[in-house]
Amino acid sequence: MAGATHNVRVTFSGLAYTSDPVRGGSAPGAEAGSSADRFERDTLDILKRLSRHPIDPGPTSELLADLGFDSLQVLELVGELEDHFNIAVPLNALTHIRTVDQIVAEVRRLVGQQEVAP
Amino acid sequence: MIAGEACETIAGTLVAAATTTKGVRAIEHDGQAIEMPYAWLLSDSLRIAGALQIRGLNPGDRVAIVVPEVAGFVRAFLGITTAGLVPVPLFPPGQAGDVSTFTRQSRDLLIASQASAVVASADVAPLLDLEHASTSGHVCQLLTIDALAEGPALLVPVPVTSDRPALIQFTSGSTAMPKGVVLSHANLHANLSAIAGPAGLAIRPDDVGVSWLPLYHDMGLIGALLTSIYARNDVVIMSPVLFLKRPTAWLDAISRYRGTVSFAPNFAYELCLRRVKPSQIAALDLSSWRVAGCGAEPIRCDTLESFADRFACTGFRASSFVPSYGLAEHSLAVALATGGVNVDTVDSARLVRDSLAVPASNGAANGHAVRLVGCGRPFPGHEVHIEDETGQLLPDRHVGRIVARGPSVMAGYFEDPAATAEALHRGGLETGDLGYIAEGQLFVCGRTKDLIIRNGRKYHPPDLESSIADVDGIRSSNVVVFGISHVNEADQVVAVLEGRASQTSRDIVDQVRRRVRETVGLELDHVLLTPPGTIPRTTSGKVRRSETRARFQAGTLLTGGRISLDAPPGSR
Repeated sequence: MAGATHNVRVTFSGLAYTSDPVRGGSAPGAEAGSSADRFERDTLDILKRLSRHPIDPGPTSELLADLGFDSLQVLELVGELEDHFNIAVPLNALTHIRTVDQIVAEVRRLVGQQEVAP
Repeated sequence: MIAGEACETIAGTLVAAATTTKGVRAIEHDGQAIEMPYAWLLSDSLRIAGALQIRGLNPGDRVAIVVPEVAGFVRAFLGITTAGLVPVPLFPPGQAGDVSTFTRQSRDLLIASQASAVVASADVAPLLDLEHASTSGHVCQLLTIDALAEGPALLVPVPVTSDRPALIQFTSGSTAMPKGVVLSHANLHANLSAIAGPAGLAIRPDDVGVSWLPLYHDMGLIGALLTSIYARNDVVIMSPVLFLKRPTAWLDAISRYRGTVSFAPNFAYELCLRRVKPSQIAALDLSSWRVAGCGAEPIRCDTLESFADRFACTGFRASSFVPSYGLAEHSLAVALATGGVNVDTVDSARLVRDSLAVPASNGAANGHAVRLVGCGRPFPGHEVHIEDETGQLLPDRHVGRIVARGPSVMAGYFEDPAATAEALHRGGLETGDLGYIAEGQLFVCGRTKDLIIRNGRKYHPPDLESSIADVDGIRSSNVVVFGISHVNEADQVVAVLEGRASQTSRDIVDQVRRRVRETVGLELDHVLLTPPGTIPRTTSGKVRRSETRARFQAGTLLTGGRISLDAPPGSR
């Protein structure tokens, strides 16, 4: 699978620009730092590790649209999160989760469930 | 029930399999295993069939299935077929883009198949748009497995003659213009007996199938489930989600259940190479795996060789590889090559320039050589010919259109005589693939149709074009998407847009990529924003996709401007 970055530079009418498949999706005020808990920190680490391009994910970054994950990588991410946090992500969660903070919230919810469970 | 006749229907094969102690083990996305012996599946499907009957469904009616759970899908499918109804498997949500895409596409397929009912799991049901799937004079009911399992049970499957439709498979045609492959019970029986028979996989009573392939796809449904029922063998069917989350789950299942027959597209073997860790490999015993099938997308020698090397320590044998070729319109398999990988090393320049597969003088060491994998011989009672544009047979090693004939060829596309006439003419099935025959073996080396294949999934350019046309500032008439297939590489996907250069150009390109990822989950390799007038058109103004591709490949698409491609080695 051709997963590497393909930059296409098109020049016409005196205009040149590069199309880069992946943009950092960091939103204003989304700097990772002080308030980041372990769920957020670890999730971001896993996202960066699985991405085939350098990414700078923020809470509102969308997995498919901003971070350049394809449907295969989304499932790889779910597998990694399940192993790392020892959780089972329900099937229908996959159809609704789009952004990084939705992932973190789902992880937090599932870990919480686990800790409450006998 | 008439024994001889009934055995040729799916329900007939289930009745026969139910006399054994064998069955289906379903492994769901969370690893939960559910055992369903064929005897239990038969009584369950008689209950479901009865429940379908009292809901007013009549033999021949289409019933769609949108069930992501393995056990639920198997039960729904067998219940529907036992009632003499025609199952129409549809892909579940979360597999090909966002929820609204799923809702729209599933509605279009329900309309196209004129489904009288849809069996859906509880999670999926709210995502279906049944209001608009019911056309005039035609209502589509929503049913769940749990409601159907109550019965009342039929005593025997509803008898169906083998020329009746057994299944409608929507893997062919774009979602914009869906084409449903109609397979009769006789079609399926011909293909299943060829696959399992002595000229095929020579299936034995103690074979154990293992599959992670989606059941809404022909290779999972026919290749794994129906072949196993037909052969009365045990089969382990796991959720594709489990495999894609953890590829090692596939190999673990083969190791644990002593799997002997397991098929997957090339990318699945790649995924194992990339993601199965050494510690996981150390725990595997793959010595039982005698048929490691590879098909549904172009097969790469490098992948198979690397896999055989890496997994040799588990007892895996390279001779287990069975490279295969097939398509939904031919039920499933056209040819398969048992006995290992047969590589033909040919001169790539002559292949492209002269459509001739000339053995390369210096073998693989020669930079102009390409290695192709043989897919075996046609099955008994079936024919595969290589023809030129006029329908003339071509001699060995001449590349031409692959045309298949025989009892596995579909009856046609559902309610689509024009598309059927295009696919089935001069008594043969136009596969849309290019290939050649050498020493009796079929080699596949290209496509005549505009299909794009990535990770075993098929994409149709018109679907990609229509999703791009949603982006602000782009008109559908100004977009062309095409794939570039390389003999030994994954397809590259190129989008050419016409627009006016402005500060927002970069944004438009980003939005296009984004839109395609969101709706179909595919990454475009190249996006070109070009000046108006770049895309070649017919006199009536229709875009000419093949010509656009040819000019792109020749580097002459932008006559006024310059294109420079900064792509990694190997992707041209």
